[in-house]
Amino acid sequence: MACCGRVFTPGRSVSHSGMGVALSRASVESIPLWTRWRSWTPVAVLLALCVLIRLFSPNFLSLSNLVGLLNSASIPLVLSMGATFVILMGSIDLSIEGIVAVTAVLVSLLVDNDVSSYSIGLFAVPIAILVGGAMGFANGVLHVKLKIPSFMTTLGVGFAGIGIATTVLGGFTARISDQSIRFLSLGRVLGLPVAAWIAFGAVLLSFLVQERTRLGRWLYAIGTDEMTARHAGIPIEKTRILTFTIAGLFYGLAGVLSVAQFGQGHALISQGRLFTTVTAVVVGGTSLSGGVGSVLNSVIGVFVVTILANGMILMGVAPYVQQGVQGLLIIVAVTLALDRSRLDVVK
Amino acid sequence: MSGKRTLSLGTSRRSFLQGGAGVAIAGSFGLSFPRPAIANETTWTLANSLRSLANPYHATFAKGGADFAKTIDAKYETLVTEGNSEKGISDIKALLQRTGGKLILNVDPNDSPDARVIVDEVKKAGGYVVTQWNKPNDLHPWDNNPNYVAHMSFDGVPASKKLAQVLFKAFGGEGGVVAIGGILSNVPAIERKQGLDMAIAESGGKVTLLDFQPADWNEQKAFDATQAWLTRFGDKIKGVFAANDDMGLGALEALRQAGLAGKVPVVGLDGIAAAVKAVEAGEFAGTVAWDPLWTGGMGLAIPYAVATGKIDIAKEPKEHREFYGTSTIVTKETVAAFKSGGSKLDFNDLWGKATGQIQYRG
Repeated sequence: MACCGRVFTPGRSVSHSGMGVALSRASVESIPLWTRWRSWTPVAVLLALCVLIRLFSPNFLSLSNLVGLLNSASIPLVLSMGATFVILMGSIDLSIEGIVAVTAVLVSLLVDNDVSSYSIGLFAVPIAILVGGAMGFANGVLHVKLKIPSFMTTLGVGFAGIGIATTVLGGFTARISDQSIRFLSLGRVLGLPVAAWIAFGAVLLSFLVQERTRLGRWLYAIGTDEMTARHAGIPIEKTRILTFTIAGLFYGLAGVLSVAQFGQGHALISQGRLFTTVTAVVVGGTSLSGGVGSVLNSVIGVFVVTILANGMILMGVAPYVQQGVQGLLIIVAVTLALDRSRLDVVK
Repeated sequence: MSGKRTLSLGTSRRSFLQGGAGVAIAGSFGLSFPRPAIANETTWTLANSLRSLANPYHATFAKGGADFAKTIDAKYETLVTEGNSEKGISDIKALLQRTGGKLILNVDPNDSPDARVIVDEVKKAGGYVVTQWNKPNDLHPWDNNPNYVAHMSFDGVPASKKLAQVLFKAFGGEGGVVAIGGILSNVPAIERKQGLDMAIAESGGKVTLLDFQPADWNEQKAFDATQAWLTRFGDKIKGVFAANDDMGLGALEALRQAGLAGKVPVVGLDGIAAAVKAVEAGEFAGTVAWDPLWTGGMGLAIPYAVATGKIDIAKEPKEHREFYGTSTIVTKETVAAFKSGGSKLDFNDLWGKATGQIQYRG
């Protein structure tokens, strides 16, 4: 029965299957204890990590550090929301850095800056998000209509994105002086950074899409077993294109937040984001083979990755050791969270 | 669930090939095409080979090359390695082939060992080459006359030492600093750390290094590291030393989040425009400008003079074969002069900005 259910999302006691057949409480109980516990391992890893860091560094739980953590986590959170949908579907999205680069450069050139003469302020935000969506749409259409594996399509679109961003600015940086955009990162509402509120909104929205829309159910169905989903009459192609488009919208928003955070836009602004995002999603317990996981798992994953990086500096771990620890943690987290009963083939 | 896998595997070879073609096409959209200038006066083709046009240093480097090519009305191309040694070398081979060896090449090798292969290829084809920054220590231009014309670099140790002292002065010469390094194995990263260590040693215990973290030349990592430091050390941090400007700007934004921009001084190296602006704004205590325009232009002007018989390179002294360029420390006091100094280069003054023969340390 575990084969068509999904990992129970934190805070939910009963899971329903992606196929629209609700699991009864009785069948949940019949699932072995460990399988039920396994879904909570990312949370356990996160808590263990917090306790460990707190032991070495009393400052870890200080208000300023927590606010700092939220700040560091906000962009990865927004990115991971888009990436989770794609990964749930059993696809992968490698265009993250390219789309963020294009939208960040676009925003930096549209608001008050030292390269172009545009100054449209916050109107640049919806434009950037839509451009991100358009690039995601391109991902989806190329992937579905030309039947190119998502790995290659998104890699290509990502490269093209970095190329476009590089060409537009000629390798230079556009520095912005628009305070309304900077407010998205520097501003505080109720003591928390505006970016954190935006990330919270993105998580909430994603959760609603996942739980309350047909799209959300279809994602799981396609990720679990595309053939069955097709026979069940789910519009596979439309769902795939729509999912990549939604992911693009989130990347566009992350592009805006990157500009807000650094006060500048350039082609390399997103360097390293792809790896952190996919790591966070996987560490959170969403399976790369699709059908298992949740946006809430990714929230946990993002915090594990962010807190680990922050904590190692707080504890004064030698730089040479840090990368090794990061690698180990990824393996441990995935080992604990992986549901092997679903795996016929490992590749 | 295995049904989906088999299904996609069944079509995968064709899709994969199509995908590859798609990537190639999509990728080429993004690249800026080399622009051959209208050319006739010289039969030599000029080329700069560098890592990426996506960073200000190399973008200016390429502009220097194009500027020089314009003055002699020559064909000019920029080759981009994208951090891939194989690509860098095969692009150079292809260009040597196409120009029949009539190539003047100014190359920033992706990795030190690449320089040997590149020099060999150019020598075989009869072209002329200048290398920048990276080469094996036992590979010398004077052993490869006349084709290997020169090697140029900037000395990171004294520059970063002087810069660190500028930083210390900015916070009154006493207190703790945190330092952000580049990729641990990179020569410039090692040199810049050395310079910082020397400056700290010379402060006689007044300045202490609270922590050092490599951030791989990456702004984002520098931002996160600085944020964590602010928690760990709080107001013990009197200054931030970053091994390049990008990371310095990342640190500056983390300080800004904490309301400390302009209060805790930051320094970086490379002299990119955003850092120069931060110096003007009083948020950076200083940066070091390397002059990539000069590197990009003069790395072609010198071999061109050799190729056209203006100079006999074999007779030039060693300090004209392996030399450092001039670096400029830009601070609040000197920033105005630096900006108005302009970037006009005299391409006939071949070694005017050279500052001594390259030293090999340990």
